[in-house]
Amino acid sequence: MSGLASGLDWLTGLHGYLAVAASLFVLGAVAVISRKNAIGVLLGVELMLNAAGLNFVIFSKYRTAAIDGQIVALFIIFIAAAEAAVALAIILRFYRLKHSMDASEANLLRD
Amino acid sequence: MTVGLKIVLAAAQILTVLSAVAVTFHPNILYASIALFFAFCGVAVMFVYAGADFLAGAQLIVYAGGVTILVLFAIMLTQWLYKSKLRDIRMRVVAPLALIAPALTYGLCVALRGLGDHVLKTTPANFEAFSSAPKTMPIGQALLTNYLLPFEAITILLLSALVGGVWLARPK
Amino acid sequence: MQPSAAFAHALNDSIGVLPLWSWAAVTAALVLFLLALPFAGFATFIERRVAAFFQDRLGPNRVGPEGILQFPADAVKMLAKEDFIPAGADRFLFNLAPLLVVVGALSAFAVLPLGRALIGADLNIGVVYVLAVTTLIPPGILLGSWASQNKWSLLGGLRAAAQIVSYEIAVALALVPPILVSGSLQVSTIVDAQGWAWGAENAANYHFWNLFYNPFTFVSAFVFFIAGLAETNRIPFDLPEAESELVSGFNTEFSGMRFGLYALGEFGDVFVMCAMFTALYLGGWQVPFVNLETFWIALPALVIALIHLTMFMAKTLSLVFIVMWLRWTLPRLRVDQLMGLCWKGLVPIALFNVVGTAIWMWVFHGQSLPQLLAKAFSG
Repeated sequence: MSGLASGLDWLTGLHGYLAVAASLFVLGAVAVISRKNAIGVLLGVELMLNAAGLNFVIFSKYRTAAIDGQIVALFIIFIAAAEAAVALAIILRFYRLKHSMDASEANLLRD
Repeated sequence: MTVGLKIVLAAAQILTVLSAVAVTFHPNILYASIALFFAFCGVAVMFVYAGADFLAGAQLIVYAGGVTILVLFAIMLTQWLYKSKLRDIRMRVVAPLALIAPALTYGLCVALRGLGDHVLKTTPANFEAFSSAPKTMPIGQALLTNYLLPFEAITILLLSALVGGVWLARPK
Repeated sequence: MQPSAAFAHALNDSIGVLPLWSWAAVTAALVLFLLALPFAGFATFIERRVAAFFQDRLGPNRVGPEGILQFPADAVKMLAKEDFIPAGADRFLFNLAPLLVVVGALSAFAVLPLGRALIGADLNIGVVYVLAVTTLIPPGILLGSWASQNKWSLLGGLRAAAQIVSYEIAVALALVPPILVSGSLQVSTIVDAQGWAWGAENAANYHFWNLFYNPFTFVSAFVFFIAGLAETNRIPFDLPEAESELVSGFNTEFSGMRFGLYALGEFGDVFVMCAMFTALYLGGWQVPFVNLETFWIALPALVIALIHLTMFMAKTLSLVFIVMWLRWTLPRLRVDQLMGLCWKGLVPIALFNVVGTAIWMWVFHGQSLPQLLAKAFSG
């Protein structure tokens, strides 16, 4: 029972947050690499951005107890919104051009 | 924190990670984006516990309300609906990555553990008080004083993203 | 301390087994069943009677006196219906989608200020919280429409998502002037700031309803109401379920209790919209021109709470009636008119109001139009 309680303490402390953020980042990176679908790649990018924001917030609590980390996380949210809007516009454009969502077919500018 | 609150936070963390696994490995892109929605919500709960109440609201509004809907829209406008065409994932790439990913996560966790221990040694005494204080006013003041330049830059970025998005997605 | 929290504490002291938050969950569920469900049910009944009134009919009047027991009968009917999922539907999403809508609409009830002592959770980001939890609704509608594998459903769902996401911007911008005026996102603070009373010595600290704060907030209130109508998919903005085009829109394939959940979410959303309008623009629980705390006789807390509740519900339900009134009065818009109204009409006006309110507060040092008039007349 005490093992469970200490595990709970670990998970809800700084280390637990960092572990969650690390797994989010790695999973996002894997999604970016392995997804064929351009939207899937976008999902991976969003996960990685979220992991970064989480780290900023948690370090701002434990390292400085100041607002600055949260401001950076807020900027990350803004940038992610802009990025998602533009990326989806590009994806729709690409779909109209190629009738496909496969990101590896976007090779017009190769060599 | 009471045990009950800790259990809620731990549940949110586990939900977040499981949703992220689904985002990465679910063969159906629609289910992956719904999993991403739940991951966003889980991260918002973690923000609340980390003392970022306003940020949690922004996270839900922008990510859960904005980005998820955009992604669902893009999926529904471009996929063959009701066909299994929604399935696409590179199994050849995924299989080795699925093996590497846990090792990579573990390595990252070990590295971050050292950093975390270092940070915990120098944690300011007031961090619990900080995390329970309201954040709206400090964020507003910081955005218009110390962070005014990045704030203005963000506004220009958002405006250009708006115009660019409209221009890119315009009909022929 | 909030009464819900006090209730939880009292229960916890006497039983003392479960952690506090579980009692908070129990009280939340109680609030849900005591407030949201009866309201939604009663609203369907009232809507039918109001519709009948506008069309010179009688409406449901057989079950109980004046047909008032019609809605429990409807609820029983919905619960007893066959649990039907169409062939080929995506079962997981089909089950999940109505829940998202209901959770999104009913979570917002937690911060509604029914009275100074009657707020479930007086969060310091209350207004943002309402915006945040109601974002669960468009994914719920979109996924439900996709999962039911029906062209009409999907068209309705896409319309709903585009409409809600667009009008959410207008709603959020129209919420900004009251927030500017009271300098807080906390709903109770915003309501408190509107408690101007005749002859109160600290009258300078309060202004009258935000609706009459200045011309900009007056316009902003109408922007909020129109955009709120669109966000809750009510006529004249009910394109997602336009009967004459899309059978029944996104909920065509839903029946029984799942349809009931969608209806509950929709009426819950209407109530939340009207309640937020009341809290932000109509002074919430405040009695006009009277301050109950500094009344000439001391009132017991229970009486004050009851008066607050009555005032709040009277204002909110009048707005709900106006929503129903509009439903049977106005024709439905076209899709292009809908989007044009939002992006070319409401959003620019709302932005103008935000800037105008900010300039007004700077020029007049945060004084409202009624305060300035009162000062001018008293010399």
